[in-house]
Amino acid sequence: MKPFDVVIVGGGGAGLYAAMEAMKTNPSLNIAVLSKVYPNRSHTSAAQGGANAALANKAKNDTVEMHIFDTIKGSDYLADQDAVDVLCSEAPKIIRELENMGTPWSRMDDNTIAQRPFGGATLPRCCYCSDKTGHTILQTLYEQCLKKGVIFFNEYFALNLSVNGSRSRGLIAMNMKSGKVEAFPARTVIFATGGYAKMYWNRSSNAAGNTGDGQAIAFRSGIPLKDMEFVQFHPTGLRKSGLLITEGARGEGGYLVNKDGERFMARYAKEKMELGPRDLVSRSIETEILEGRGFDSPAGTYIHLDLTHLGADLIKSRLPQIREMSMQFEGVDPIEEPIPIRPTAHYSMGGIDTDNFGRTVMQGVYAAGECGCVSVHGANRLGGNSLLDILVFGRIAGHTAAEEAQQFEPGTISEGELKEQLDEVRGGMHSSGNYERYGALREDLGKTLASNVGIYRESSLLQKGIQEISELKERFKKVRVFDTSDVFNTNLMQVLELKNMLDLAETVAAGAYARQESRGSHTRVDFPVRDDVNWHKHTLATLVNGKVVLGEKPVTMGRYELQERTY
Amino acid sequence: MTVPIDQHNEGVKKNVTFRVFRFNPQVDSKPYFDDYTIPVERGITVLRSLNYIKEHIDASVSFRAFCQAGICGSCGMRVNGRSQLACTTQVWDVLARSRDEGIIKVEPLRNLPLIKDLIVDMDPLVDKMKHYSNWIDSTMPEASMGKKEFLISEEEFLRYDKATDCILCASCVSECSILRANKEYVSPAVLLKSYRMNVDSRDSIHGQRLAELVKDHGVWDCTHCYRCQESCVKSIPIMDAIHGIREDAIESRGMKDTSGSKHAEAFMSDIEKKGKLVEATLPIRTNGVVWTLQNLLPMAVKMIMKRRTPPPPPLVKSAKGIKIFREMFREMTEHVKQDHKSHKK
Ligand SMILES: Cc1cc2nc3c(=O)[nH]c(=O)nc-3n(C[C@H](O)[C@H](O)[C@H](O)COP(=O)(O)OP(=O)(O)OC[C@H]3O[C@@H](n4cnc5c(N)ncnc54)[C@H](O)[C@@H]3O)c2cc1C
Ligand code: SF4
Ligand code: SF4
Ligand code: FES
Repeated sequence: MKPFDVVIVGGGGAGLYAAMEAMKTNPSLNIAVLSKVYPNRSHTSAAQGGANAALANKAKNDTVEMHIFDTIKGSDYLADQDAVDVLCSEAPKIIRELENMGTPWSRMDDNTIAQRPFGGATLPRCCYCSDKTGHTILQTLYEQCLKKGVIFFNEYFALNLSVNGSRSRGLIAMNMKSGKVEAFPARTVIFATGGYAKMYWNRSSNAAGNTGDGQAIAFRSGIPLKDMEFVQFHPTGLRKSGLLITEGARGEGGYLVNKDGERFMARYAKEKMELGPRDLVSRSIETEILEGRGFDSPAGTYIHLDLTHLGADLIKSRLPQIREMSMQFEGVDPIEEPIPIRPTAHYSMGGIDTDNFGRTVMQGVYAAGECGCVSVHGANRLGGNSLLDILVFGRIAGHTAAEEAQQFEPGTISEGELKEQLDEVRGGMHSSGNYERYGALREDLGKTLASNVGIYRESSLLQKGIQEISELKERFKKVRVFDTSDVFNTNLMQVLELKNMLDLAETVAAGAYARQESRGSHTRVDFPVRDDVNWHKHTLATLVNGKVVLGEKPVTMGRYELQERTY
Repeated sequence: MTVPIDQHNEGVKKNVTFRVFRFNPQVDSKPYFDDYTIPVERGITVLRSLNYIKEHIDASVSFRAFCQAGICGSCGMRVNGRSQLACTTQVWDVLARSRDEGIIKVEPLRNLPLIKDLIVDMDPLVDKMKHYSNWIDSTMPEASMGKKEFLISEEEFLRYDKATDCILCASCVSECSILRANKEYVSPAVLLKSYRMNVDSRDSIHGQRLAELVKDHGVWDCTHCYRCQESCVKSIPIMDAIHGIREDAIESRGMKDTSGSKHAEAFMSDIEKKGKLVEATLPIRTNGVVWTLQNLLPMAVKMIMKRRTPPPPPLVKSAKGIKIFREMFREMTEHVKQDHKSHKK
């Protein structure tokens, strides 16, 4: 195959913006986007709330500076302040750019882009399109890429980087329709494969494919991952599927109730009750469950989100989506009975370590979006900031790769290397010695993460988690791929995704064990306060001789000094 | 207020047989069905059942799924004959309506090439999106973008708000009656998207898109059977979009399209006479008797069996306010004729 100038792995918001920008930067370049699902199916489509930008359409006194401060404070001071500057100053431009290309933003009375309040923001600056913001952004970007003639390799599964010392030669991927392993020799590769929160399996709001493939590939190639221990939990996920019931339900007056029929939030946030900040509500629910006041069920312990007292009229008129979701996914009509919920893993702050231009330590390899970690979210991401992150840094990575592509020689990937990959990938198909079922392993991984590396963390639990993950990795060596066919082998894809999740789970647990403090989403029962003296720094996880080795990286400070984070 | 623990009926399970369409092009010369019987409690979706079957009984059963939340559009399939999303469909609900007790038949979407089991090829749909320029070609030059917003009224936003709900799941494509006869037909989802672009004031290629839409296999081939709209998983009024494009075409292009004009005449004479379309006769008048017999009769018979067919002509009552309508229509034709003249000049 003819070598590419830029190969982008991932067709979500970050990948598509990168593609568009790379083409704009240099239209003569040979650019390709690979995605394991059709780009419009990417998880960006699930974002409902919106994207932050200080347009000052709604709150006339809003400024970029206030957005910067809110983001840094929200991050519990772990974000790099120069990166946050870029994020927030580019925000108004990028939201307008999307608008100019056709994104159907909701509108205010004066016909400008509408904005609404969102958690952690001083002023209403979250731009939205009804409750389908991510979906419409992704549609717009996909449409524009089709218009520009971006070359898509849809339903291609990225397997590995082909590496020569400190240089990448390009990417190796499987064509899912044919089962063939194909080479993508390339001057530059951008990873934009989304988050890894699906490792918590059915305690996650994420799509089945948010398995951190890009991070795992980079990690196996020796590229460090940053701040992997930071995983954000959302308080109200549906019990069976982990899918989100948005804050709206509590906003309209829903109660959180334990099995004793008690509105337990009175114990944790007397005044705000159900409307306390996300992390506090998540922790409160988790405490109820841990202390035995949840409801038991085969799908796990849960508590009730009770809307029944709100009445059918209000539920139908104000919360129709929430009603539809609980009926479709849980079989429960909230008009008649409470919704079974529990906290759910929602967003991964950690990812491939990059600089503010999307560069990784490996020449010609870049990362952007939830898959990368610049870092703009630090220890805790603000709602509405991650759509912004994928757009801003997707664009920057696309631009940088297009500009720098000429500096790198395109590599060649040998037939031998492809053959080796294919053999490795299909190894699990042999019947002798392979008997473990991926479904069971995946479930166990989710369980051990949720109970040992979940909302509450503690030294002995984390050790147990680390131990169990390594046992699961052992068992994985015996995993069986039962489907031996070439064409669209989803069984094989699931096994490959599980492998990636297992590799990353180890880095999450290792980071969480090392970080002896509580900061943002990371809560250590045994180290309940933030420790700026010892832990105001990023962790870096690198794979050295098959082992996770932890390092550190200083946080870039700027105009804002460390302060206690109170709301 | 104490709530019993078994409130959500966790204990109650029903045995359900999933009759799954199977086809692996590498080994099978033709498709067949496999039965899998599993216990299913309330609250479980068809997708979760398929996942269970894949994990515990037969790992080779192949289907697409991603978000599991009804937003990505991956899991479109036919459940007991109806095209829908597996992830938003409750097993117990389907059972309640199932003709064969305890059996749920799961098949791939129609009208798209089959790849394997429940997986069909989406590329033809993407190709059509490209063919009909399903994107905004902004009136603003790229270099000026990002500096200021277009001002868009709520009224304009509402014109395309519903259409942008489309998740390209292809359920409507699978149900479309014309696509069964003619795979080149534009497709309901693409008509919907085209309409969405055409009513957006930021777009600059409205005329070009419309010119493509009125050609062969385009908007005039639609028979108004409403099946797409009835099956849309997001309840989008697709027919409004189709009517919108047609009205737009007549208004702005008049009768000058050769391929579409026959249809346009049929359309307009319907409007004039009855104030609404006589759908049953539309295909015959546009395509001729032979084509209709060959392509649409088999489907029509099926539709009659299912009582879906539009009423035959004498039953179509004139719409209310037909006088006003005729008046408007006369004005419109005048308009079109004028247009025609100015074009010829
Ligand atoms: C329920 C939910 C609601 C959210 N709401 C909001 C919100 O309101 N506001 C906000 O700012 N953020 C929100 N977020 C977060 C935000 O949606 C995500 O962080 C963001 O969309 C990630 O975009 P991305 O482009 O990085 O990745 P994704 O959109 O996840 O795209 C990843 C892409 O990589 C591809 N890929 C992955 N692995 C491979 C592989 N091995 N080979 C080939 N391709 C691969 C996939 O096919 C996909 O195209 C929400 C998240 C969730 C789960
Ligand atoms: S109304 Fe038209 S587009 Fe819709 S299903 Fe019928 S023929 Fe197809
Ligand atoms: S119009 Fe409806 S049924 Fe058709 S693809 Fe879009 S969402 Fe699916
Ligand atoms: S899996 Fe995404 S719509 Fe069903």
